[in-house]
Amino acid sequence: MTTYIARRLLILPVIVLGVTMLVFAMLSLLTPYERASLYVQDIPKRQGAIEGIIEKYGLNDPIYVQYWKWMVGQRDEDTGEIVGGVLRGNLGWSQTGKSSVMVVIGRRLPATAELALWAAVPMIGIGIALGVVSAVHHNKLTDQILRVFSIVGWSIPTFVFGLGVLMFLYARLGWFPPGRLSDWAAQIVQADAFTQYTHLNTVDALLNLRFDVFWDALKHLILPVTTLAYLNWAYLLRVTRSSMLDTLRQEYMTTARAKGLTEAMVIWKHGLVNALIPIITIGGLILIGLLNGVVITETIFNYPGMGSFLAQAALSLDVVSVLGITLFSSTVLVMGNLLVDVLYGFVDPRIRLR
Amino acid sequence: MKVIKKLLTNPTSLTGILLLFAFTVIAIGAPWIAPPPENARDPYMIPRDGFSTTPELPGGEHPLGTTEGQYDILYGVVWGTRTAFRIGVVITIFTAITGLTIGSIAAYYGGWLDEALMRVTEIFQAFPFLLAAITLSSVLQTIYGRGEAGALMFLAKGLALITFGSNPMKEVDPIQLQILTGMLAIITFGWMTYARVIRGNILAVREHEYALAARTIGASDMRILLRHLLPNAIYPVLVIASMNTGSYVLAFAALSFLGLGAQRGYADWGQMINFARNWIPSLADYWHIVAYPGAAIVLFVLAWNLVGDVLRDTLDPRMRGKGGGL
Repeated sequence: MTTYIARRLLILPVIVLGVTMLVFAMLSLLTPYERASLYVQDIPKRQGAIEGIIEKYGLNDPIYVQYWKWMVGQRDEDTGEIVGGVLRGNLGWSQTGKSSVMVVIGRRLPATAELALWAAVPMIGIGIALGVVSAVHHNKLTDQILRVFSIVGWSIPTFVFGLGVLMFLYARLGWFPPGRLSDWAAQIVQADAFTQYTHLNTVDALLNLRFDVFWDALKHLILPVTTLAYLNWAYLLRVTRSSMLDTLRQEYMTTARAKGLTEAMVIWKHGLVNALIPIITIGGLILIGLLNGVVITETIFNYPGMGSFLAQAALSLDVVSVLGITLFSSTVLVMGNLLVDVLYGFVDPRIRLR
Repeated sequence: MKVIKKLLTNPTSLTGILLLFAFTVIAIGAPWIAPPPENARDPYMIPRDGFSTTPELPGGEHPLGTTEGQYDILYGVVWGTRTAFRIGVVITIFTAITGLTIGSIAAYYGGWLDEALMRVTEIFQAFPFLLAAITLSSVLQTIYGRGEAGALMFLAKGLALITFGSNPMKEVDPIQLQILTGMLAIITFGWMTYARVIRGNILAVREHEYALAARTIGASDMRILLRHLLPNAIYPVLVIASMNTGSYVLAFAALSFLGLGAQRGYADWGQMINFARNWIPSLADYWHIVAYPGAAIVLFVLAWNLVGDVLRDTLDPRMRGKGGGL
């Protein structure tokens, strides 16, 4: 197991580097003029303005030079200092976010993390529970209702579901608004009297004993959390159900019953634990997806997280932002996959031995 | 034959097949159900009834109402069926072919080639899908916007021929070109599952005696691969393909919803829902701009998923007996 993890850890930077090269390759299909247009707001008044931008950002350099500069930074002509460079912890300047990419991630990640945090527990817990119930009542009415629920949920596009809940719970009833905080609450959060310990609004509000802010933050979270939860329940239910059905037929289940264990004990302890492997894979993938920001959900609910930023950056062809976010996201993805694999070993001793 | 019988007798897949049949009828009958205006340049551009921004409720001349900009919803939903079929089927075929080619080459030749191809697959998988698709389609849109001929234009022409049946000798219609960019982006980042699955399966069947026998009698690599290995390893790919068609339609709809897939006013369900983004606070009044195109997408994807679900139960022996009718 240790060798396996070591091997995977060694290959990890190669994969992440490969992804950034892939992004570079895609964006190198654009001409310097097309890329410079990102930095131009109006029609330039001065002649040669675009050439100046191309010069300044080195957009005319050969692609490997640009990649090298992005990776290790470049020497400033005037001061002789080396500026930028991913290896030196600088992901560059994001034109879309109007600040450095690191700052953008620092600002957006807490929002996404808060969403992921609130979505994860009900999503995974209820998804698995429904799957087990469905498997236990195999082919009975409950199972059939849950299967319909799952396959329909699996067929609804995120944006249709999101707009649907907005239609009823926001436009009609006015209960849950889009965004992350109401204006008055945002002012309180920004004020000096309010300490932002974690930048997760719900947690900070509780720590500052501002329950009105907590309630406001929660109100903004409910719709995106519901959207994410329903669509992922459907998927987890499916996986849990089929894995549980497999397990329920095993002989050790009969043994467990023969020992006189209660049915609940048999199903939840002997059954579910043995059915966990595919569930962990899918659950892990869903969590990783959440941390990387959920593009569509955040866009619909106007939620200022990683996903909505990413959509903006990619749509406006902001090369530096896309590269920075991709580097971050793919690292999370690859690390997350590794973690999931390691988790297998804990859940299933047979894998650990191999 | 057994598979077809099963698909037709199982209530789950029968529902799916009936839905697909209904969609097919709508797609074929589009010119009669929603006849395009007489001097229409392109029947896929939804006709407009004026230019007012406020959507109009269903009734009168527009049975399903109009969206922002007075695009007729009934027309869009009907002609959008054709778009959905084209997109779903063409993307599925191309992702499957790409994945099959890469996976079978990797598995058959093994060694460093296998190692290299699998690393590339991993790199593509480490790139979050929607981010990748959004980036690539916005890049492609800019490039194709230039209108230069090149290898990429050649690719677009090939895809246009298969998707729209357009003449490869002529310039590609810019409206179609924009749809092709979204499709290309999804194809580029959608083949990895196929590659991995087919590789695993070929590795398993490669060791069988019949493969060795074919090699002893001097069959070429190509022949062994195409005649002996692929047919024995291909079932799971069919299952994945049928289950994926729905998700490709969803992915393309997501691109359209973000304003990348189809052009404004094109008969594409995702694009039609894109209009609703400006009307979120008043969706309670203008529910129809989401409800009708939304229902069309859900039913279409549901149909493919229902068929795919039963197909998986039937074709994948490991899954046999687990499904049970709905």
